[in-house]
Amino acid sequence: MIPQEFEYSAPGTLQEALQLIAGGERKVLAGGMSLIPMMKLRLAAPEHVVDLGRVPGLNYITESGGTIRIGATTTHHEIEMAPLVRGRCPLLAEAASRIGDIQVRNRGTIGGSIAHADPAADYPASLLALEGQVRLVSANSDRTVAASDFFLDPFTTAIEPGEIVSEIVLPAEEGSEGYRYEKLAHPASGFAVVGVAARIKKTGGKISFARIGVTGMAAHAFRALNAEKLLEGGATIDEAVATIGEGEEANSDLYASADYRQHLARVHARRAISVALTRAT
Amino acid sequence: MATTTVKPETLVGKRIRRREDPRLITGTATYVDDIKMPGMHHACIVRSPQAAARIKGLNIKPALDRPGVVAVFTGEDVKDVPSVPCVAQLPGLRQPHHHVLAQDRVYFVGHPVAVVVATDRYIAADAADAVEVDYEELPAVADPEKALAAGAPAIHPQWPDNTAFTFHQEGGDVEKAFREADVIVKQRITSQRLVPNAMETRGVVADWRAAERSLTLYSSSQAPHLLRSLLASIFGIPENRLRVVAPEVGGGFGSKIDIYAEDMLMTFVSQRINKPVKWVESRRENFLCTIHGRGHVDYYELAAKRDGTMLGLKLKIIQDLGAYLQLLTPAIPTLSVLMMPGLYKFKNISADVIGAFTNCVPTDAYRGAGRPEATHGIERMVDILAAELKMDPAELRLKNFPAPDEFPFATATGLAYDSGNYALPLKTALDEVGYADLRREQKQGREQGKLLGIGMSAYGEICAFGPTPATPTGGWESATVKIEPSGKVTIMTGASPHGQGEETTFAQIAADELGVDIDDVVVLHGDTSLVQYGIGTFGSRGTAIGGTALYYALQELKSKIKKFGATLLESDEVSLVGGSVVHEASGKSVSFSKIAAEAYRPMKLPPNTQPGLVATHFWEPPNFTFPFGAHVVVTEVDRDTGQIAIRRYVAVDDCGKLINPLIVSGQVHGGVAQGLGQALWEQAVYDDNGQLLTGEFTDYAIPRAHMMPWIESSHTETPSPVNPLGVKGVGEAGTIGCSPAVVNSVVDALSHLGVRHLDMPLTPEKIWKLIQAGGRA
Amino acid sequence: MKISGAHVISVPQERAYALLQDPAVLGRSMPGCDALEKIGENEYHMKMKMVLASMNGLFDGKVRITDANPFSSFRLIVEGAGKIGFMRGNGLLTLAPLENGTNVQYEGSVEVGGTIAAVGQRLLDTTSRMLIKRFFDKLSTEIAASGDKAGSALPA
Ligand SMILES: Cc1cc2nc3c(=O)[nH]c(=O)nc-3n(C[C@H](O)[C@H](O)[C@H](O)COP(=O)(O)OP(=O)(O)OC[C@H]3O[C@@H](n4cnc5c(N)ncnc54)[C@H](O)[C@@H]3O)c2cc1C
Repeated sequence: MIPQEFEYSAPGTLQEALQLIAGGERKVLAGGMSLIPMMKLRLAAPEHVVDLGRVPGLNYITESGGTIRIGATTTHHEIEMAPLVRGRCPLLAEAASRIGDIQVRNRGTIGGSIAHADPAADYPASLLALEGQVRLVSANSDRTVAASDFFLDPFTTAIEPGEIVSEIVLPAEEGSEGYRYEKLAHPASGFAVVGVAARIKKTGGKISFARIGVTGMAAHAFRALNAEKLLEGGATIDEAVATIGEGEEANSDLYASADYRQHLARVHARRAISVALTRAT
Repeated sequence: MATTTVKPETLVGKRIRRREDPRLITGTATYVDDIKMPGMHHACIVRSPQAAARIKGLNIKPALDRPGVVAVFTGEDVKDVPSVPCVAQLPGLRQPHHHVLAQDRVYFVGHPVAVVVATDRYIAADAADAVEVDYEELPAVADPEKALAAGAPAIHPQWPDNTAFTFHQEGGDVEKAFREADVIVKQRITSQRLVPNAMETRGVVADWRAAERSLTLYSSSQAPHLLRSLLASIFGIPENRLRVVAPEVGGGFGSKIDIYAEDMLMTFVSQRINKPVKWVESRRENFLCTIHGRGHVDYYELAAKRDGTMLGLKLKIIQDLGAYLQLLTPAIPTLSVLMMPGLYKFKNISADVIGAFTNCVPTDAYRGAGRPEATHGIERMVDILAAELKMDPAELRLKNFPAPDEFPFATATGLAYDSGNYALPLKTALDEVGYADLRREQKQGREQGKLLGIGMSAYGEICAFGPTPATPTGGWESATVKIEPSGKVTIMTGASPHGQGEETTFAQIAADELGVDIDDVVVLHGDTSLVQYGIGTFGSRGTAIGGTALYYALQELKSKIKKFGATLLESDEVSLVGGSVVHEASGKSVSFSKIAAEAYRPMKLPPNTQPGLVATHFWEPPNFTFPFGAHVVVTEVDRDTGQIAIRRYVAVDDCGKLINPLIVSGQVHGGVAQGLGQALWEQAVYDDNGQLLTGEFTDYAIPRAHMMPWIESSHTETPSPVNPLGVKGVGEAGTIGCSPAVVNSVVDALSHLGVRHLDMPLTPEKIWKLIQAGGRA
Repeated sequence: MKISGAHVISVPQERAYALLQDPAVLGRSMPGCDALEKIGENEYHMKMKMVLASMNGLFDGKVRITDANPFSSFRLIVEGAGKIGFMRGNGLLTLAPLENGTNVQYEGSVEVGGTIAAVGQRLLDTTSRMLIKRFFDKLSTEIAASGDKAGSALPA
């Protein structure tokens, strides 16, 4: 469990970091919770690692004008505990609290998690349900991509060589909105066998707005658009969740077959929507 | 001379905090990997990614060419090194020569192929990657039943039936019992392969000193003396020039009783390079190359009368041995046979064991070793019988226990259970859990679709291994007690504790016997140059045998102390009270420390007495001990997902007399954790090509703190007559009692759907599918 | 692990059959592979660089075509080994005409060994499907690019 020899840089500014990775061959290190195990198993053998840990100005949580910005190196634990996130974007705080274990939450970062794009990672479900955006910067570019255009395939995102995730941009949730993240955690890794994030708004006692993100079930997290429409159109929760996973090829592994995953997605969606509904005012 | 003597409070029976913990919690303990020596080199082992293959070519040059690499050894270099030892013997046992490095073939994923030695660990790891091995893949078989099927690929070409041994045992007249039975229930029950996963992986530092022709070997071992004796005979190094040290050992659970290829390989390397060399196992290697536990496929048949009287049991065990026989591999399923009647009275059994080779890492002793498998089997069968007879499972158990006055109780398998009151822990546990209320709740809940299960196990175990004739390693244990001139007490035990807390419990025993402060007692172990000789710590034997050896050594010293006291007090009418020798008539006394000083500088020796206060005792037990207990588990099954939640876990264990209830609780908790691991989560899965698919903690789920239920642990105390301390052993009890209680509970929750049996681990999908199928598998 | 699925290629069946066996096309379409080098009848040497998340593995191996049943089916066998383990894909490809192209159905297995097997089982299914999809996507691009010069792609 010893990685191959590699060079290590710890740049002190963002510009320096971006210059270092401009060639596209160098690997960025954030919390190291995914990268380091891969390196120790020698599945990853980068020749040069650029540590973002000492880059100032990448770790922040701010709000202005109803928009929340979270710097890429903000840890899961910081997101889980931040009063701003808990108050203004509680779905994300709830999702963060369900990641792995305390050690992982203390080191792992939101930028690293979404850049890594494990198909069973927790955040993507919430980022989709929140209709968030990802800001990508490189030495000579700065662009923002919708979460729905960011997760492309297992471990594959819209990040181009030379780019890093600099921040996550989220609209603040309305106080009246109900939310819930439901997850079946794998007993070994903690990753979501299936995770469902739901946001619900009510008008006159009826669901007027629904956003549902599903992770773990398929090649990448997706939004359950049909279910959302059905809920907004007055269908029952059962009717709505019955459409989840349609048209998606469900993953299967030793722990959960494709059929079971598909079923779990529906069960967890039902539970997430039900709780969100009771939280909505 | 003082005249006051205060009898200190006795410590045996008290919840005393472990004296070994401060160094463990503060990170100042010394494990093998903490050992550094001048000139020490590092080894990294090249291992096969194939489960079965011929080695067509091996190119070590790219590794040798790297700066810092000192040597690379391959199978050819070690072909004359004797086999990795297996000390368990069975008639007709086929034992493949287990070379420390593969010769022309590899037999399991992880099989060592070459060893790279370098000046530092990083260089060694990179160089190991540079070794080129050309494999010609051969068909592999990883499942023991498939290995035994006709036409299966031969693991070892010389034995195409893949059978290492067969073993048969009978007691009573099982055919008659089956003829007379009203009901016979049958079930195939598996006990899956498990990875022991000690927190500290294995490690070895070998230091050969050519000029002295001596070897010092540090190894993370549960049995350092055994390791020394075996290494001595393997390498022809006299035992008095071979020192084995087991420094702090971070758990073993049986997996560190074995002598491993790496212990031998590092010895070989150190002799060849004339330098100390260190190898520390990675977690990946630990999954692949340290022994696994369990690996049973069992076929059970239980015969009974309609009133529930059990008559006889037939059992066929297919034991997955892996590719080689490690130290005790073939003996483990024979322990299952010994334990197969469980706590029940019936006297007719027949058992057949088939040991099957597979292209997997060998199995061997893992917490419980053979007894969890047997207990799981019989306790499942009793529940299946109860369901068949529509009897309450508790009632069925109570009906078949021997009564307390029937002890010693001769079993159908030839054992003599020492003492027991089997109904007591079961009744206590059922009372504690509120059995009758729960049954009512279950009935009502079912009408609303709720799935509540109440499961129990009444387990017995064989502990304190054991009389020498029954224990391949030797069955006694030893202790030396030294009272230093200052009156401080040093104990050297042949047991080799690695988490069991004997530095505390042994000190409690000594402090009580000698009447000294516990802080004046130090317990040493794990170093063959320090300790007289010993067998080691495994099979719940440490306190029952090692503690008894200590007890007798203390008695010898006490009589010597009395003699010195009598001489100083000039009277034979003396007694030992709280460490001092007292002349009762006059009330005069001499203190412990005074006697200690006197013993080493005697002005006048008592008659027939030598100076000094040192005693050594080797104790051979006349029998095993037989702890028992009952675990009751209440589970709730989520109908929609198949997830299992444990609502209550009640464990009532009887391990004889409790020396330290705090440590006993710790042992029960740890044991239950590993039992839950087997029942719910853990499984070493090999695919059809012999690839270990759960080869890291990302897929192999061991229980973690947040997954544990609250364990309501209590005890009944039925002393063992086998030893003067009355103790039995508790290291494995939790594991043995746990898995059947959990599975019985979940089966109970689903029984109204027609579910009769479930194999472990009880993964949610398995349960969900059964519910979907209306209970039919 | 069993794999199966179907993809549609926008050329007629005979063309599709030829393209799918053309080492140049195969080499360019297989993810991480640059070129195939002929080492025997229907047997090619392959070097593949697999980049997936942080993972980065070099595989050295063979591609073989067997059980050819012109224009309706054949078996494609891909085997590679490297430091991080080995992999073996074996698929029977069955071609059937469609109105405006060919349906290629595959049925087979993927086996892996070594470190990737021990730590990758959770992701094997989803990543295998992704790689197969990439293969067919690239193939479609190749087809689009090759235009009417397709005749030259027929195996010698
Ligand atoms: C035991 C364990 C349990 C876990 N359980 C869960 C779980 O339950 N749910 C879950 O969602 N996750 C889980 N994880 C993963 C965890 O959330 C990781 O923190 C996360 O996947 C990676 O974040 P990191 O900051 O550690 O990134 P690193 O490991 O440092 O990097 C991961 C990848 O992202 C790249 N990267 C990092 N930062 C950036 C950036 N700013 N821009 C572009 N690329 C970047 C790196 O180059 C690398 O390729 C678990 C991990 C472990 C070890």
